Amino acid sequence: MKLLLRRVGYFFLFLLFWQVAVMVLGIKEFIIPSPLKTLSHIFQPTLAAKYQWPLHIQATLMEILLSFLITAISGNLVALLISWSRALKTLITPIIVFFNSLPKIALAPLFLLWFGYGLLPNTLIAVLVAFFPIVINTSTGLEQVDEDLLNLVRYLGATKGQIYVKIKIPNALPYIFSGFKISATMCVVGSIVGEFIASDKGLGYLLKDAQAFIDTPTMFACLLLISLLGILFFGALSLLEARVLYWMPQTTGGGKG
Amino acid sequence: MHGNTPLLSIRELKKVYKTREGELEALGSVTFDIYPQEFVSIVGPSGCGKTTLLKIIAGLLPKTSGEIFVDKKQFDPSREVGFVFQKPLLLPWRKVIDNVLLPIEILKLDKRNYIEKARALLELVGLSGFENNYPNELSGGMQQRVSIARALIHDPKLILMDEPFGALDALTRERMNLELLRIWSESQKTILFVTHGIQEAIFLSDRVIILSARPSRMIKALDIELPRPRTMEVRSSAEFGVYSLEVYRCLELT
Repeated sequence: MKLLLRRVGYFFLFLLFWQVAVMVLGIKEFIIPSPLKTLSHIFQPTLAAKYQWPLHIQATLMEILLSFLITAISGNLVALLISWSRALKTLITPIIVFFNSLPKIALAPLFLLWFGYGLLPNTLIAVLVAFFPIVINTSTGLEQVDEDLLNLVRYLGATKGQIYVKIKIPNALPYIFSGFKISATMCVVGSIVGEFIASDKGLGYLLKDAQAFIDTPTMFACLLLISLLGILFFGALSLLEARVLYWMPQTTGGGKG
Repeated sequence: MHGNTPLLSIRELKKVYKTREGELEALGSVTFDIYPQEFVSIVGPSGCGKTTLLKIIAGLLPKTSGEIFVDKKQFDPSREVGFVFQKPLLLPWRKVIDNVLLPIEILKLDKRNYIEKARALLELVGLSGFENNYPNELSGGMQQRVSIARALIHDPKLILMDEPFGALDALTRERMNLELLRIWSESQKTILFVTHGIQEAIFLSDRVIILSARPSRMIKALDIELPRPRTMEVRSSAEFGVYSLEVYRCLELT
C-alpha cells in the first residue's frame, strides 16, 4: 500500500514537472499541451472539444472487455485440447505457429472487409492479437508439472480427467494468469488499431479525428484515457490473481508491472 | 523365522530400459519376500535401481520380467500401496487436511467418512492443529510428515518410501527416523524403505536388502536383530557397529 502511494506520488511529480516545463519553456499547445490543458479537454467541453467522451470510452471499453472474454475462453480451450490429445497437438500446432508468425495487425484491413465496421471487426482484431499469448502460456503451464506430482496420483489409478482437475489445471493457474495479463494489454492495442483503421466510435477513432484538426490536447486526452483503461483492467486482473492464487508465496509490495 | 505368509513376494524381478545405445539393465534379478508389519530397507549405490524397484511395485513402471504377487494373487497397487516420495509433493493450493485426503478423492471414496481419520493421522504424525494451514507455511520436515499421513489415509497394507528424509538436514532426519518408528509401530503397517543411508537403514529395519551397483544384483538380505523399541542408544552399541561393517563389506567399501 505504501509502495502504491509512493508510485502515485512519483507520477504526480512527473505531471508537475511536465506542467512547469511546458509553461517555462513556452512549448506550443499543438506540439505538447500541458497536463492541465489535457484534462480540461476531458472535463470542460469547449467548442473545440465538443466530444462525447462517455460514448467513446464505452465503445473502446466494450471492445476490450469483449475481446478479452472471447480470448480467455477460446485460448484456454485450445491450450487444453492441445495438451489433452497428442493427435490434436500435431494437427493444431503448425496452424498456430503459422498464424502466430504473421504480423496480426496486418490482417486488420481484411477483417474490415469481411466484417464491416464497428464493434465486431475491432473486437475480432483484438482477439487475433491477444489469442496466442494465452494459448502459449496456458499450454506451457499445463506441461510444467513435476513428473512425481503426476506419479503421486497415478499409482492410485487416477484417470486422465482427475489428473487435469486435481493437478494440472490448478498447477497451471499462475501461467494462465500471466497469459491473461499479457493478453489484456494486447486487447487494448488491438481495439485501438481497429478503431484507427475504420470506426465511427471509440478513443482510437477520436485520436485520429483530433489529429485531423491538430487538436493536440484532445489527442493527449485520448492517450491518457486509453492508458487509464489499460491500467484499470490490468489492476483488476492482478487483484483477481491475488484472490485466486492465495496459496502462492506473497511477493511483498504487490506490484508486478 | 516368519511363520506367516508374506504380504508381498517378489520373484526374479527385472527391468531393462531400451536406449539408443542398446539395452540398459536397471534392475538385475531381485527376489525377496516382505512379511506383514515388517520394516525392510533397501540400500545400494546410486543408480542401482532402488527407486525403479519401488516404482515397479507401485505400478508406476512396467516390469520387464519376473513376478509380484500377494497370496498368489496379482497385486493391486492402487489399494494396497501408500507411496512417500523423496519430495513431500504437497499441492500448494490445498490445505494440509485436503492434501491428506487427496488419495480418497482419487480412489472416489466418500470423503466424509475419512475426515476424522485424516485428523487422527495428522495427530499421529505430530501435526494436530495444522489441518487448515497451507503447505508453504510448514517446514520441510513438517511437509514430509503430511505426506506420510497422506500415504496412510486409504489404509494401504504396504508403505513404500523412497528416500523420504534425504532432503532434510541431519538433525531433522534423525528426529524423523525416531518419529517414523513410532508411526510404524502405532499404525501397524509394513514398510519398504529405500535409502542410501546405511546407518539409517540398520537403525530402522528388521531386514536390510543390499543391492549391488548396476547391473544390480541382490547381494544379501541382512536380518537386523536389534531390540525394539529402538532408541538413539542402539546406534552406539557394538552390535550396531557389526551390522554397519557387514553392510560396508557387502558394498565393498572396506
